[in-house]
Amino acid sequence: MMWRRIRSVPVEAWLPAVLLGLWWLASAGSTDLYFPSLSDILLRFREDWFFEHVATDLVPSLRVLGLGYLVAVLAGLLLGVALGLGRRAEEACRPLIEFLRAIPGVALLPVFIVLFGLDTEMKVVLIATGAVWPVLLNTIDGVRSVEPLLLDVARAFRLSRWQRLRRIVLPSAGPQIFAGARTALAIAVIVMVVGETVGGSGGIGYFLLNAQRNFAITSMWATIIALGILGYLLNVLFRIVEAVALRWHRLQRARLRPEGTW
Amino acid sequence: MTAVRTGLATPNARSAPTESRGQIGAGPRRGPAGARMLFAQSAVLAAAVCFWWLVSSRVGADSVPTPAQTFRALATLSGQGDFWTALLDTSLTWAIGITVCSAVGIPVGLFVGSNRFASRSTRFVFDFLRTIPPVALVPLGLLLYGPTREMVLLLVISGAIWPLLIQSVYAAQQQEALLSDVARSFRLTRRSRFVDIFWPSSLPFVMSGLRVTGTICLLLTVSGELLGGAPGIGTQIQQALNAVDNPRMYAGVIAAACLGVAVNVLLGVLRTRVLRWHPSVRGGRR
Repeated sequence: MMWRRIRSVPVEAWLPAVLLGLWWLASAGSTDLYFPSLSDILLRFREDWFFEHVATDLVPSLRVLGLGYLVAVLAGLLLGVALGLGRRAEEACRPLIEFLRAIPGVALLPVFIVLFGLDTEMKVVLIATGAVWPVLLNTIDGVRSVEPLLLDVARAFRLSRWQRLRRIVLPSAGPQIFAGARTALAIAVIVMVVGETVGGSGGIGYFLLNAQRNFAITSMWATIIALGILGYLLNVLFRIVEAVALRWHRLQRARLRPEGTW
Repeated sequence: MTAVRTGLATPNARSAPTESRGQIGAGPRRGPAGARMLFAQSAVLAAAVCFWWLVSSRVGADSVPTPAQTFRALATLSGQGDFWTALLDTSLTWAIGITVCSAVGIPVGLFVGSNRFASRSTRFVFDFLRTIPPVALVPLGLLLYGPTREMVLLLVISGAIWPLLIQSVYAAQQQEALLSDVARSFRLTRRSRFVDIFWPSSLPFVMSGLRVTGTICLLLTVSGELLGGAPGIGTQIQQALNAVDNPRMYAGVIAAACLGVAVNVLLGVLRTRVLRWHPSVRGGRR
């Protein structure tokens, strides 16, 4: 397993290396205002993000993101389980949910500015309302598609309601819930950046737009790269959490299906 | 941990197609039960409006307008040409965005997924690019194109293509080995292998990717307009905010939501059309 990992590195690394090399060469000595050379961008990246703006911009962003995402996942999970178990309630609420989730989360930004001002609270609420829907819908769907046979078995063994939820419903809905949570993470990052561009109290989004307004183009590029790395790291973190939480599922799939390439 | 996904799952799920789900597109239930459900749904909607009204009377109508004020503003807006132009602008941007995403994302994804070397080489690049929050490109777009549709499209395409592309990669990778064996032993032509086997078995994945892409497309279209000031409904909302005209702002949000509903319905209908033959649609299950 480990050995295969190491051997696969060159296959996976050649294209990124070539692309970076091309960018480096094509932009070397560039005098174009909008496309500075990669070496300048990297220098600026080191100056900005090691570690001058980490405390002032990165940390507030991560805090807002973490809080908003947590609220979204918890609310989506709780509501989703409740609605997934109560079929009639879910059907009655469906038109309302369909309407609310259709609001492009960002469109609520002005509304929340009026309600909550420009502070952390506004950003957290904005992220939560934008990111809750994939979790909610996937939880409803996952809870509903639990194998009926298993529920019958659980009933025959007289498992309590809580045990049924904990041992059967949640594990079996798990993969779908995680799929929703992953989409939610991507949306949360988008909404976070948008929310920050209007706030005046620091944050990566604020820094980014500010750089553009001041025509600090190299800084802007460095921030785009920083956001890319941040998004990538968040995704890696998510994958680790998912792998731990769904270990049983992967083991089972591995038995049924040979290992894929992804 | 409980063993759940057993081999039993598939046959059992198939043999219970009677459980129809009350989802949009599944068609309303008829008879007294259907009428009761319709009543319940209206009651929930009415309760939501009441809740809104309650909130607005508590916080004060100048920060949260009452439903009546909002709908009056919506009625006024719908008599104005600008409003319809904005709505049309947003729809057009969305349509161009999703068309380009499909035209590029589906073929590239299918190709990359069906070639082992290509999928391993691009893995890191795709993983990295898709995690860049697309709104990070707004400043760049503004510098290059100014507050225009091109700027919004740069944002939309670079951000919304990934779910579709990744799903297409999956689609090509999850081809049933048995089916391609059968195709080979029947000596099907390359063309027929693609048209009759590869493409139909990819479609369910592609359609689910398209759904996510459609939603993100709209989200990014509105974001681009709101942040960059390109013509569209996002700008209308922003202008209402600047003019401290809250009812008009809420009306704009409702219009954006209607656009969102339209997008969802459109993609839902497309999915049932395209996947009419698929057990998930025929059985009334998702």
